[in-house]
Amino acid sequence: MAFTDATRRGLLRAGASLPLSAALIRESRAQAGGTLTVALPTTPTSCDPVNPPDHDWMIVTQNIFENLVEYDIDGVLRPQLAKALPTVSEDGLTYAFELHEGIKFHNGQPLTSEDVKYSFEWMLDPANKAARGPTFNRLSHVEVDSPTKLRVILKEPFSPWLTMLTKFMGIWPKGSREQYGPDHFRRHPTGVGTGPGLFEEWKPNDYISFRRNPNYWQPGKPAWERLIIKQVPEDTSRVAYLLSSQADIISVPPPRDYARLKTRRGIQGNARATLGGWSFIALNNARPPFDDVNFRRAIAHAIDRKTINERIYHGMVETTAVPAPRSSWWFNPAADAVLDYNLDKARDYLKKSKYPNGASFELACASVPYLLDSRDAAIFLQSELAKIGVEVKIRLAEQSVLSPMLSRGELDALVANFMSPGDPTYMIMVYLTAGQFMSKSSSFTDARLDELMKLAFRENEQEPMKPHLHEMQMLLAEKSPFIWLGFFSAANLWRDRVKNFKVSTGQTVMVRDVSLG
Amino acid sequence: MLVLILRRAGFSLFSLLVVSLILFALTRSIPDSPARIVLGDEATEEQIAQFEADHGLDRPVLVQYLAWLERLVLHGDLGRSFTTRLDMNAQVTETLPVTLELVCIGFVVALTISLVLGTLSALWRDSPVDYAARLLAVLGVSIPGFWPALVLVLALTVERDWFPPGGFVPLGEGLAEHLRSIALPCLCLSVFYMAVLTRMTRSSLLEVLGQDYMRTARAAGLSRPRVLLYGLRNALVPVVTIAGVSFGHMFGLALIIERVFNIGGMSRALLTAIQQRDYALVQAVVMMFTIIFVVANLIADLLNAWLNPRLAARAA
Repeated sequence: MAFTDATRRGLLRAGASLPLSAALIRESRAQAGGTLTVALPTTPTSCDPVNPPDHDWMIVTQNIFENLVEYDIDGVLRPQLAKALPTVSEDGLTYAFELHEGIKFHNGQPLTSEDVKYSFEWMLDPANKAARGPTFNRLSHVEVDSPTKLRVILKEPFSPWLTMLTKFMGIWPKGSREQYGPDHFRRHPTGVGTGPGLFEEWKPNDYISFRRNPNYWQPGKPAWERLIIKQVPEDTSRVAYLLSSQADIISVPPPRDYARLKTRRGIQGNARATLGGWSFIALNNARPPFDDVNFRRAIAHAIDRKTINERIYHGMVETTAVPAPRSSWWFNPAADAVLDYNLDKARDYLKKSKYPNGASFELACASVPYLLDSRDAAIFLQSELAKIGVEVKIRLAEQSVLSPMLSRGELDALVANFMSPGDPTYMIMVYLTAGQFMSKSSSFTDARLDELMKLAFRENEQEPMKPHLHEMQMLLAEKSPFIWLGFFSAANLWRDRVKNFKVSTGQTVMVRDVSLG
Repeated sequence: MLVLILRRAGFSLFSLLVVSLILFALTRSIPDSPARIVLGDEATEEQIAQFEADHGLDRPVLVQYLAWLERLVLHGDLGRSFTTRLDMNAQVTETLPVTLELVCIGFVVALTISLVLGTLSALWRDSPVDYAARLLAVLGVSIPGFWPALVLVLALTVERDWFPPGGFVPLGEGLAEHLRSIALPCLCLSVFYMAVLTRMTRSSLLEVLGQDYMRTARAAGLSRPRVLLYGLRNALVPVVTIAGVSFGHMFGLALIIERVFNIGGMSRALLTAIQQRDYALVQAVVMMFTIIFVVANLIADLLNAWLNPRLAARAA
């Protein structure tokens, strides 16, 4: 009914239909079984995988674009567009891939090695301003051997690059960047991916939607006909969307309500520790009082991580004192045991430090939380450290203000929850080695750590890499350049009709394998 | 009257200019660059500098302001969003009608109910009707705007399924669904202002009804409805002034209501723009709200001059 037709009779008829409409809506929902709706709290800024939005909204890039390999839901590296994981040369500088045959882009064009070469070289060219370009700056170039065979050449050994592809990269058709321009990739990337979803529409401040890719190269996937990613910032509204069946899956449920909601009829829920979700306190080792290793150790022993994680984060953080999730293959329990909660030890270390009578520092914290709210944790830390005579002044500011301050080394300390691709070395490299974009946040350098990092970069298998990672954790426990509280969990709630859904250890909701009952 | 219109219009234009200048200065004084939001934490200093040069953010603030004002005044061009690169004119055209509809309906609901309640309350002073109206008014001004919204979402969408929990259904998709999608947001928007205007109508009408000229009118044998009509015309002057201001304030409350009900209107766009340091969008939205606020107050002034011709005469 057009607005101009809104006669009195029409209005009365519409009014009379109101009580019936709820039933009609329920009916239409039951019939629209092919539409999967996911509600997320944050705001998308781009569909371009090289300028990705936050980890939640990578669901968009990951449904459109694919990579040679993928870091899957469980954090296992698997081949994606490539037939198998690459063959790596002895010197760790050459990665040889063979592509699946018959894969087509959304525009019908077949995928070839030339497209892979073009995509990587476009991303690596500084002129193209790919935000994640610096992450891959150890890559040199790509050599094409045949339409399905190629080699990626590195400048120096750097095995983690494979794990970063899923979050920060994609393969698009040769020439497409010039043909379509940046706005196409950013706003409406039709025809340029190989993924399970065909981009349909982006309605700002509302949703981004997809249609099923009928020619997707993995048979039978995806099982949904339409995918809608809705932007629902308010926690209560997001839960209401789920409970009233307007959303099938929600991300970042309110931690206080999560346990109660997941037992509600018709609702399921799960939380899994992420592989790259640091819950930590960044310390600037160049600024007093963190310029003294004994003072840092005192702080590390004075923090009751278990209580913070159980009582403040409601079990949404898996406790560890080292930069490795307890559930990961690279976790070193011996290193974790070094930093037990022990106030006597804390006082002993404090006495040995340059600040035997205590000290004070400013602890920054995000005023508007993104993944987990750290404000209560900051208050708890303040009271905990007061027990050993350390005064904490809390400073609240928006994360977008704090992040650049952290990167410039302008903060004493920051309690935060940061997400990364989930590789064992990425965050350590970025924050605790020299020459990285976050190096000044810690101002920490250690020759042995650098050496261990290089040794780990040379390895592509877990077993040979493990001793280096274990030693790294022991070194970081002993020197405590940062304080780790644990690894936060990715949590989702979903309705019963959602089948084959699993919470991703990479935080981003993955729906390629999901079907609707 | 013409003098009053010209004077008020001139003052409104001056207000807009001052607001635009303050707005520009405030948005540019926010620490750090929007480039950080767009390019991410890993962006190098060179990338940040390049972004700022590309978007003219490296120029002096006054130069940026003049260029923005020139585009706005001469070409009606609000520019492009830094983060999404969307054309702002298109975004305003898409989101403004949504917010405007919510606010206008909420305003009409608030005004209609408050005039009726306030009048009944004043006419039957200290009666059960008066007590009920006053109680409602006290509750309305005391409850924070988001609270009835959250309660209604829980009670009428999650538990009853009578209304959708959020979202805006355009009129083109059916009148019934459209009304269902805006009913709760409009109601929540109107509660506070309904209470304020009810109290104002009641107290103003009580004051007028006690005036000598009203007693004279009754003594002269004028009918009760006629007397009430005269009384209302005089009592409405402060109500219209408050209503004009309330209309503008409702856009502020719409920030919360659009967030709770997940409606993609202009208030929601403003909130997102603030979080993303999207100066261009913040400026565009705040300027639109300022224009609406100024126009609403201009209309209220002119309406008051019509209700009370002495105001126009004084201005002349």
